[in-house]
Amino acid sequence: MENVIEAINLTKYYNELLAVDHINFEVKKSEIFGFLGPNGAGKTTTIRMLTSLTKPSEGTARIFGHDIQSETIIAKRYMGIVPEISNIYDDLSAWDNLMFTGELYQVNKSESERRAKELLDMFGLFDRRNEKAKGFSKGMKRRLTISMGLINNPQLLFLDEPTSGLDVQSVLIIKDVVRELNQRGVTIFLTTHNIEEANVTCDRVAIINKGKIAAIDTPERLKKTIQSVQSVEVAFEKASPKNLKELENIPLVNEVRKEGDKFRLYTHDPANVLSGLWEYAKANGLKPISLNTLGPSLEDVFVRLTEIHVKANRRDSDE
Amino acid sequence: MNRQRLSLEQLKADLRAAWAITKKDMRLYYVNPGAIMFGILFPLFMFLSFAVGKDAPAATLIPGLISITVLFSASSIGPMVIPMERRVKTFERLLSAPILFYSIILGKTLSGFFYSLAIGVIPLLIGLVWFETQILSVLGLVLGLALPAFCFAALGIMFASFPTENPGNIMMLLNFVRLPLIFISGLYIPIESLPDWGQAVAAFSPLTYANDLVRYALEAKTNYGVALDSVALLVFTAFFLFVGSRLNKKFRK
Repeated sequence: MENVIEAINLTKYYNELLAVDHINFEVKKSEIFGFLGPNGAGKTTTIRMLTSLTKPSEGTARIFGHDIQSETIIAKRYMGIVPEISNIYDDLSAWDNLMFTGELYQVNKSESERRAKELLDMFGLFDRRNEKAKGFSKGMKRRLTISMGLINNPQLLFLDEPTSGLDVQSVLIIKDVVRELNQRGVTIFLTTHNIEEANVTCDRVAIINKGKIAAIDTPERLKKTIQSVQSVEVAFEKASPKNLKELENIPLVNEVRKEGDKFRLYTHDPANVLSGLWEYAKANGLKPISLNTLGPSLEDVFVRLTEIHVKANRRDSDE
Repeated sequence: MNRQRLSLEQLKADLRAAWAITKKDMRLYYVNPGAIMFGILFPLFMFLSFAVGKDAPAATLIPGLISITVLFSASSIGPMVIPMERRVKTFERLLSAPILFYSIILGKTLSGFFYSLAIGVIPLLIGLVWFETQILSVLGLVLGLALPAFCFAALGIMFASFPTENPGNIMMLLNFVRLPLIFISGLYIPIESLPDWGQAVAAFSPLTYANDLVRYALEAKTNYGVALDSVALLVFTAFFLFVGSRLNKKFRK
């Protein structure tokens, strides 16, 4: 399968700080590739190097086989870029924002107009096309930014935190469009803080931490690498904070977390924890109203991979 | 052959993109309060503060007023617009487009150029209507407006290369250059009346050549000649664009 993105030894230093540390990965054609990591892990720097906004200190990247440093313009023609901040012209109308972007990307006028109508309609903005963007809500601005990233009909779309902090309507529209684009064969490089979004959207994900790729695989295969992190989720009709401490004393429970009105008990042996939990409930007069056994989530993988580094670093700094 | 065609296509694309950037800037920023303040009011009051009460016919002050207006209006657009666009990240939209960086620079320079032409014509009209100013050389006037407008727009772009998101920072830095230029370029004291060292210093100011061209167009007086004035302004323009581009690349790393 053709590689759309190839990151080769990609490295970025900001003075002494090593922000991205010799990373290598490929993104295949028509893939939705998730790029996850905590704040400051190197996600945005990587995306900026891949889109030629930042020059790598070492290494390079190829977009559809074109080197991003020596064949920048050709490589950029394949791309649509949607940055984390909605960078639209507030004093232009939605329509004029799209027309201007079309001119920058050398889309001819009639094609720009056709695409603009299609995109505004797709993103639910057609009726407000002649209004200045400064009157738009955050979600509408985000939808307009994505429309602008698609005006040149790109084969590769970079989406940096596309749904962060948006209203439900905007999130649903954006998710729908991403799915539809992918079905049409557009390759999508997605960075997100929303692990569940990555889990249900991405074909493969890479987890970056401290500038290094900590793991890269399909969400399901990544989950299998930490099968020991299974859990039992229970909700009691009446619960109190003291239950949290007491639940930790059930044999084979490694950790207990309160998640809303539920408790989540982490273990490698859910079957035996269930019987311990049953005895605890009976002994304390607690009535379970829901009970589930859960496999590891992508968030568990993320936490596991990134926490390992955090703990290691803490130890390093303590020493 | 393909490579050649690609280059020609790219050149056309870059010119179209530059023009799109200019048109967009015209719509968005020409009536911005900052552009009016730094491009129109500031040069007008600067000029009045030195010219009022001076024992000279008003018509002889018009070339200086035109030159100073062109200097301030042309050099204000880039330093005002680029940091603002950096702040709201729309400048990155330009950087991420499949166009050469030079076409962004060209688009921004043209924004200052056209703004300055439109503003520079105002003192000329004032002179023509109220102070018996006469156009003695149309060619001199066209060159005297167009070349300085482009040159000073490029000066503004060079300063706007400093990576700040606050237009005030650039304007402050730019005024360290623009204000001394007014005094060493023969606007208030004719170059020929300056001492030798003054004349030597004036030769390093693009405003000297701009003012010389305008004086040639309106008073048929010139110190350096139209050809030398034009070449000097073109050299200054190339220098400002080159340094601006290098600074941009350096700071983007």
